[in-house]
Amino acid sequence: MRWNAFDTPVHDSQRVYRQLLSAMAEPGTFAEVDGAPVPPSDAAIGTACWATLLTLCDLDTRVWLAPELDAAGLGEALAFHTGALRAQCPADADFALVTPATLEGSAEREAPGFCEGSDTYPDRSTTLVVVLDRLNSDGPWALSGPGIPGVRRLDPGEGGEALMTRLAANRSRFPLGLDAILTCDGRLAAVPRSTRITRVEEVDACMSP
Amino acid sequence: MTASEPTASGYNFAYLDEQTKRMIRRGLLKAVAIPGYQVPFGGREMPMPYGWGTGGMQLTASVLGQDDVLKVIDQGADDTTNAVSIRAFFERVAGVTTTTATGEADVIQTRHRIPEQPLRQGQILVFQVPIPEPLRFIEPSEEETRLMHALEEYGVMHVKLYEDIARHGHIATTYAYPVKVDGRYVTDPSPIPKFDNPKLHMSEALMLFGAGREKRLYAIPPYTRVESLDFEDHPFEVQEWDAPCALCGARDTFLDEVITDDRGGRMFVCSDTDYCQSRTEEVA
Repeated sequence: MRWNAFDTPVHDSQRVYRQLLSAMAEPGTFAEVDGAPVPPSDAAIGTACWATLLTLCDLDTRVWLAPELDAAGLGEALAFHTGALRAQCPADADFALVTPATLEGSAEREAPGFCEGSDTYPDRSTTLVVVLDRLNSDGPWALSGPGIPGVRRLDPGEGGEALMTRLAANRSRFPLGLDAILTCDGRLAAVPRSTRITRVEEVDACMSP
Repeated sequence: MTASEPTASGYNFAYLDEQTKRMIRRGLLKAVAIPGYQVPFGGREMPMPYGWGTGGMQLTASVLGQDDVLKVIDQGADDTTNAVSIRAFFERVAGVTTTTATGEADVIQTRHRIPEQPLRQGQILVFQVPIPEPLRFIEPSEEETRLMHALEEYGVMHVKLYEDIARHGHIATTYAYPVKVDGRYVTDPSPIPKFDNPKLHMSEALMLFGAGREKRLYAIPPYTRVESLDFEDHPFEVQEWDAPCALCGARDTFLDEVITDDRGGRMFVCSDTDYCQSRTEEVA
């Protein structure tokens, strides 16, 4: 299996970009990426994640790959198709490909410290591209703020606690922060730093006698 | 007007090269994530002078797709030079369908107005911006204004509005009226009349702002709080007119004064030509 690029790069990347733009503009909404190349079967990332990288990365961007996601030759494929550079450390990354477990860190490896931008240039920060095993709207996390009329709910699947706790910390540091593009197979969503995140107590559990 | 192949050969789709588009696209994602904050970008030279909408055009070129329907307005009008030229430009270099109907457009590039017809979710409004920095007339140094934004040091903006009141008895700023986006960044809504400021608040459409000469872009996402700066005893107010539109009779639109002869004759008509026309047709 090979890593393929878009069939028609100009129009395919435009279409995926518009999905990314509206996901970022309306946090908690979902888009299904179709017509994008499918990563090899032994890859650790899905179609939406690969399409996001193909759309946003080029020789001006530095990408940091979590070791557990750098499978099936992703690093080489990314360099080949986009020309993107590998970031030597997380703080140098424009884009970081992570899982919730990456953000949490472990006994052997501390949690990576990504760039949150500066007070005068908060845009010079790392954008996380998160690989999830589930991405739905019926989760315990409530999103509000710009782009959201009222409240939207999010279920980021396994390890969501670590991810959402990290993203919720953005709020106290605003305008510094990390923006996240969430992906799960062909589906994508986004949680920018402007989003307020709270954990909703399981209503059903509380209500049951 | 139907979509066709781009008629100009030798250009990439929508004029800009792909790497430039990606640079602007990445900038726009950051702009959306930090509502009202001005993101610097490597503005390209466009085939027209600064001040004619080069910033807006670069943003439009970066988001536009071949299936999109494009509308371009200049001071509300679809049929003025700037609007006609930019529309023709994208017909040539992108082959997209264009329209004058606000409701049918996916992307609307605008100079100094927001359409009267409420925008819907999914639409993108691209503003042409001459001077993106609302503090620029008070503080000429970019380094200083950046620091002022970082420190949320906006007192001076209220001093400017206060000076209006001291001199004229009311806030005399009528266009490019400063707003605060999501309670954080003071932002220039581009030179739209303050009449349009309330439409920025909780808009259903995504609003993108591009300044070509100054090489800055910024955004207001949909459903975002946008407050016009004011004082408790001098609350923000929009313009009102004594007479309705002379053509369609609308009383709730922004009116332009049109000189009709050289003997002092004049009339007030809707600045939004599409809105005015659709109302005239309804009545007829």
